[in-house]
Amino acid sequence: MIHVRQLTKIYKDIHSGHFTALNGISFDAMPGQIYGLLGPNGAGKTTALRILSTVLKPTSGTAVVNGFDVISHPEQVRRQIGFVSCNTAIYDRMTSWEMIHYFGQLYGMEPEKLQIRMESLFEKFQMNEIRNVLCSKMSTGMKQKVSIVRAMVHNPPVLVFDEATSGLDILVAREVLKTVEQLCDHGKCVIFSSHIMSEVKRLCDRVAIMNRGNILAEGSIEDLSRKYEQDDLEELFYQMISVSEKQHEAELTNMR
Amino acid sequence: MKWKNVKLIFKRELRDQLRDRRTLFTVAIMPLVLYPLMGMAMLQVAQFMREYPTKVWVIGADNMPTEPAFLVDGGINPEFVTDEEQALIHLGLSDEGDTEFQKIVKQLREQDDIPSGPALFDELIKTEMKRRGFDVAVIIPSPIELPDPLQRRSKNLDSGDEPDSTGDQIEEESKTSIYVFQNSANDKSRMGAERFNGALHKWKIKTIKDTLSSHDVPLSLVTGIGITSADVADQVGIQAATWSKILPFIIMIWSLTGAFYPAIDLCAGEKERGTFETLLSSPAARSEIAIGKLLTVISFSMATSILNLISMGFTGMFVVSKMGSTMGGLSLGAPPLACIGWLLLALIPISALFSAVALAAAAFARSSKEGQYYLVPLMMISMPLMMVPMLPAAQLDFGTSLIPVSGLMLMLRGLIEGQYAECIRFAGPVCAVTIVCCWLSVRWVVSQFNSETVLFRASERVSIGSWFKHIMAERDQLPSVGSAILCGVVILVAKFFIGFAVQAPGSFGGFAIQTVIILVATVAVPAIMMALVLTRNAVSSLKLRGCSLPMASAAVLAAICLNPLMTWFTGLVMQIYPPSGDLVQLERVVSHILTSAPGLWAIILVFAVAPAVLEEIAFRGFILSGLQSLRSKWQAILITSFLFGIAHGVIQQTMITFAVGMILGVIAVQTRSIIPCILFHMTHNSLAVLLSSAKGSVVENSAFLSQVLYTANGENYQYAIIPGILMSVVGVMLIVWFIRLDATPVVRTERSKLSRLFARIFPLKPQT
Repeated sequence: MIHVRQLTKIYKDIHSGHFTALNGISFDAMPGQIYGLLGPNGAGKTTALRILSTVLKPTSGTAVVNGFDVISHPEQVRRQIGFVSCNTAIYDRMTSWEMIHYFGQLYGMEPEKLQIRMESLFEKFQMNEIRNVLCSKMSTGMKQKVSIVRAMVHNPPVLVFDEATSGLDILVAREVLKTVEQLCDHGKCVIFSSHIMSEVKRLCDRVAIMNRGNILAEGSIEDLSRKYEQDDLEELFYQMISVSEKQHEAELTNMR
Repeated sequence: MKWKNVKLIFKRELRDQLRDRRTLFTVAIMPLVLYPLMGMAMLQVAQFMREYPTKVWVIGADNMPTEPAFLVDGGINPEFVTDEEQALIHLGLSDEGDTEFQKIVKQLREQDDIPSGPALFDELIKTEMKRRGFDVAVIIPSPIELPDPLQRRSKNLDSGDEPDSTGDQIEEESKTSIYVFQNSANDKSRMGAERFNGALHKWKIKTIKDTLSSHDVPLSLVTGIGITSADVADQVGIQAATWSKILPFIIMIWSLTGAFYPAIDLCAGEKERGTFETLLSSPAARSEIAIGKLLTVISFSMATSILNLISMGFTGMFVVSKMGSTMGGLSLGAPPLACIGWLLLALIPISALFSAVALAAAAFARSSKEGQYYLVPLMMISMPLMMVPMLPAAQLDFGTSLIPVSGLMLMLRGLIEGQYAECIRFAGPVCAVTIVCCWLSVRWVVSQFNSETVLFRASERVSIGSWFKHIMAERDQLPSVGSAILCGVVILVAKFFIGFAVQAPGSFGGFAIQTVIILVATVAVPAIMMALVLTRNAVSSLKLRGCSLPMASAAVLAAICLNPLMTWFTGLVMQIYPPSGDLVQLERVVSHILTSAPGLWAIILVFAVAPAVLEEIAFRGFILSGLQSLRSKWQAILITSFLFGIAHGVIQQTMITFAVGMILGVIAVQTRSIIPCILFHMTHNSLAVLLSSAKGSVVENSAFLSQVLYTANGENYQYAIIPGILMSVVGVMLIVWFIRLDATPVVRTERSKLSRLFARIFPLKPQT
């Protein structure tokens, strides 16, 4: 479903000249699978997901989403993807219904189909009460719900959650996680990025641990535990990141 | 681009903005409330103006003659003032018991003449005026005797004086004067003095009339021939002239203001709220998003402008009719209907232009606050452009029609005034410039929306040092498009300021030194400095490489052969755009200076050799090298020639040098060296100098020249038609030879960011 090969992204930076946000990462995610990108802030998760959603262009490497290349067919790729970002990203001066309807139209859905789809989604997510409430009047949890429904309105085969639970309280976060789990049951390919270990452990079938633009380890959670002989995933994560940080520091001192 | 998506985005943005209270306030509420409030304030002020009477302190009222009486019963004689004026002038007469008055009178008696200026006496009056609360002081120092020449003459005869001494008498007589002291820094005092002087003037006329009639002198002796001036403009014409100055400005200023806030909210605001990324990850293409947003901004810009116009119109008409009496008969009816039509027509491109520029600038901003920082300079830049039609001297001509916003404003003014013939002449350039500007700004918006560095700009720590290091680290072998254009702009700005700073020198030596210094300082030095700093290879950036002998000789030959064509072209340009008075004056000064030149060689050195070397280094050297990283070499040549033309300042010269620049550009690109360009430039300029100073004897004695040149008036030589055409053919063939040369493209390491941006704005198909 998603095939990423040697994906590299270099930002130009006035101070350091170049900043490598992604350093040739490769991974594959399958339908019906939740793929977790796990890493500290600045690991390159958001950059990778933005490239998948064609908002950014990779410096080199390829990414194919449901058969469409992100560089040559960005428009088709965007149709395959529903993108939920860390900030709730909804329009304050629109009601939830208006906003989701707007995006449905942008995805080119026919009016009748859109109506049916929206009714069922609003039913499923119990959003009929806030149907005509302006988004600015909603709580963060509700906003995130609207955001998720917005991403799902065109029934995309791929859903991308970029730190979707950050800033949410435990109750809402659980709700979001439950939704993500359900999506996987429907045979969708879900990519879920997070820096919270427990979420990833609970949800993901496969995990890639990232730091400084590199994938340090990749595989199912059982694979990783077996390979690194560490049952506690949190501990494993911490160890890998600290080893990687030490290497990075050593490289820096060598350069000097 | 799918118009369905554009429409969808446009509709959503429009609805979103209409729900925003801030936008609604600036677009609708403010104009509807602002003008009535302003009108009310103006009416209030007008009332204050009416209510304040002035207090006039009259010192020595007894000295006024009794017939005709100026002062009656402590007021001005009703014969000389209207009732309204009488009510507004409160006289204060000093009586004999007043000590201060005594002091002043004493001083008056001691002095023969009342000093003007801030002397002690003035000070006294001033402090007394202030203390007593008077606005105006009137002093009649000595008894006024009405002029009566016959009486005086008889008096003189009685006393047995020589008739000559009447001169003294007249002089003395002129000293008996009425002094009116006012404080012109104070409006109330100034207006009071005006009123009082008016009455005094009427009284004076009356005394003259009385005197004349008492001696049976006809009145026409002093009034002379009557001159009556009349205004032939009809009421509509006067109104149109007034409206044509005000309305375009109002339309523009509000279309710019109306574009501001929606533009910021639509770009920076969305970035702030995080919705931008969501929109970008939807199937809508970047261009669709950009155009949809642009249409929204245009709508608001136009709506703001129209609403302001309507509100101002209604309030204006109401206020003017109310204030009619105090405004001195200035009547402003409703603007003519045709004028409204023109305004609405002009509003479309103006709104599009301002909206696109505002949106492109706002796209760069990360937050609404940052957006405002970008838009204030935009306002500052467009203000002078919009002010142009308010200037009475501004005229629509070829030069002004090429200035972006100003040309359109002037044409709009002309259309409102009904000068259609004038406007149609320049409609072409004005429309072309406007369309090009709109197109460029729309492309800029789309390119901004396509640039991820613009959309996902992280805040960076900016310091001059790190920025400089970055430039040094990033620089290429050859200059980038950005630095080439920067060099062009630096040259233009330097020339502009130097133009103000220098004064015309007196001698040829001074002129030569000045010309060369200006060229070095404004043209060569910027280019050389930038080549040294901004590129790794200054020598090839300036195209300082040798060229083969055939190329060099072909360049010289081409310059000679193309000279007739260039001369004719110059003549044509001069005929279409006759040089203005200033230019003729300048030419006269220069030719006068040239008479003091030590020889022809010196003139050629200053006019041909120096500009050839120095200008080629900058234009065909640095600038063209930089622009050559554009996809098309023709694009590079065109832009270089355009800058080269503009750098010559005057419109006529701009057109001529643009043509020369195109030829030089071709030679530079094809030979990859500026040596042939310098030779061509030098030959071209030298020939111009030689032709203008060609002497009859030289031409007639030469078999060749007498064939090629002819003269109509015995002074100025021209190319003869047949030889001229033959030479031109050879010249064109030489240029074709240059074009056919194999110009191996210089291998460029990497196209810079700016050149990519530029290529997006000017997407020409790659040259095959």
